[in-house]
Amino acid sequence: MAKEKDIIEGCLSGSRRDQELLYRRYSPKLYAVCLQYAGNTEEARDVLQEGFIKIFENLSRFSHEGSFEGWMRRIIVNTALERYRSRYYLSRVDDIDEVTEPESEPDTDDFAGLEAYDLLNIIMELPPKYRMVFNLFAIEGYSHKEIGEMLGISEGTSKSNLSRAREILQKKVMILTGVTRRMVNV
Amino acid sequence: MFEREPNIDIVFRNGLKNLEVLPPADMWDNIPPMPVRHTRLRVISGIAAGVAALVSLTLLVTWYVRNNNTPVLLSEVTVPGDGLQGSPIDIMEASPISGTEDARIVRFVTLSDPAVPVVEAVPDLTADEPAVLIASADIPEQRTEPGEPVILFPDEITVINAGRFAGAEEGIMATMAEAKTAPAGQRFLVGASMSPAIGFSPSGNNQRLAELISSERSRPSYSTGVTVGYRISDRLTIQSGIGMASVGQTISDVNVYAGLSDFYAVKSSYLYSVETASGTILSGNTDLYLTGSKDRVGTLIQGNMADPSKYQLTQVGSDIQQVFRYLEMPVVLRYKVIDRKLGLNLSGGVAYGLLVDNTAYTGEGSDLIRVGHTEGINIHNISSQLGLGMEYSLSRKITFNLEPVFRYYMTPLSDISGSLYKPYSLGFWSGFSFKF
Repeated sequence: MAKEKDIIEGCLSGSRRDQELLYRRYSPKLYAVCLQYAGNTEEARDVLQEGFIKIFENLSRFSHEGSFEGWMRRIIVNTALERYRSRYYLSRVDDIDEVTEPESEPDTDDFAGLEAYDLLNIIMELPPKYRMVFNLFAIEGYSHKEIGEMLGISEGTSKSNLSRAREILQKKVMILTGVTRRMVNV
Repeated sequence: MFEREPNIDIVFRNGLKNLEVLPPADMWDNIPPMPVRHTRLRVISGIAAGVAALVSLTLLVTWYVRNNNTPVLLSEVTVPGDGLQGSPIDIMEASPISGTEDARIVRFVTLSDPAVPVVEAVPDLTADEPAVLIASADIPEQRTEPGEPVILFPDEITVINAGRFAGAEEGIMATMAEAKTAPAGQRFLVGASMSPAIGFSPSGNNQRLAELISSERSRPSYSTGVTVGYRISDRLTIQSGIGMASVGQTISDVNVYAGLSDFYAVKSSYLYSVETASGTILSGNTDLYLTGSKDRVGTLIQGNMADPSKYQLTQVGSDIQQVFRYLEMPVVLRYKVIDRKLGLNLSGGVAYGLLVDNTAYTGEGSDLIRVGHTEGINIHNISSQLGLGMEYSLSRKITFNLEPVFRYYMTPLSDISGSLYKPYSLGFWSGFSFKF
């Protein structure tokens, strides 16, 4: 199996074969990220294509100091964000100062039977503004301040969107796993 | 106090961490080849190599000039004296030829008993033979001691006949000192040249490059320009100048259709890319639909759904012409192997090229349609050239040159598939030179 560094150097020298090798190796993981942010397959395809063009264009800037996969993931996420901003910039929600948390929260063990594909489908069903904030906060680990700057919204909006996203996700997960029924029965 | 993270976040983060979803199978076809960008180090190295070559050439010329500044104008001199009056002495054969900077020491190799008979020096000059420089020296008798070298000072030597060719009717009367300060005249030359050539593209061991090149043919290339030269000696000339060179190739397995913009509007700076041996053509003309073999055509259009028959597109070309024009500054050393009216020259040198035009187009005649440009082409290049050809003197001042020239690009035109792409060409350098 070719080493990551060799593939990168091959790409930089213009080898189309190495470019394809890099694509084949990493595109499944990155396409999953695209789906997670894009919400539908058409949009995800565009994000992946645009993202890979950027990856190739900027490959010479990769310093080999951090994770290559992480570097590519950031490019994909930024590409998805750019597309989101261009489409949904005007679609904002009112700020909510008080963030409401679900009254009762099931334990993580209750979701043990969930497949990754189920989670992906659930997250893809979220409205775009909730999906973006949830992904950036819960999956990527950005703060509300950073998310606000990325999406052009206030911190309060980011918090409220996250709260709403969690609420929706929790309900959907509970429905999917039958936790609600069990909780009611108990 | 540590705020507990909601479980739903953990569930999604952990659950999606290693998720892989295979993208659609045709996805890769829609990602154009990566444009090759040259690192700054590489560009600097190329320029440094070119500068080093020019400096080396300059040093070589300087060394040659400094080590060949002994009087070469005189090949024969007549020296007065007992038994030697009018006797021609071939200075070039007299040995040793050395002395102070201005003096010439002639050892009489033929001083013997009896002395060499007095012979009137009458040069036998035929029409096409280079004329020797005939001179006489008025030397006091006391300085011509038998067995001792004779010291000739420049102002004691009178040039009585000189010229490139015997038929030129030249009879310069000057002292050697004058002859040294204005040696033979016509040191400079200006000229105009034209050099048509045909290029060749080596693929090396690179399979992909070989595959691409098999459907590419070199366009007839040319270079034109003006030259200036300086005659370092009778045989050696250094030339430089400025000119324009055009090289390129024809991609023959690509079809081009027009009218796409009526059906497919995009904001992208290009829609199609064409992989070639010298780089990737990006089609900035978004009205064009491109299709080809060897997987060389890529597109940003999802699924390449633009169908020429469905959209009723018009075919406007069955190939793409890549043209690169360079502003060139050559430095060439030219040596006369045979110094006759019809002479033979050997030339060699380097040329610096600056890319001033990079165009890809399709169509024929006056119906040319610009397709776009080629990515990955070096802005600078250094080429070397070697030639062997004839020089014909039309008159004392005008010469005509015709010289087959082999040119090789020392720095690559571009990089592709990990292989350095360095084409070479074979052409005819021809031109007129005016000496003054």
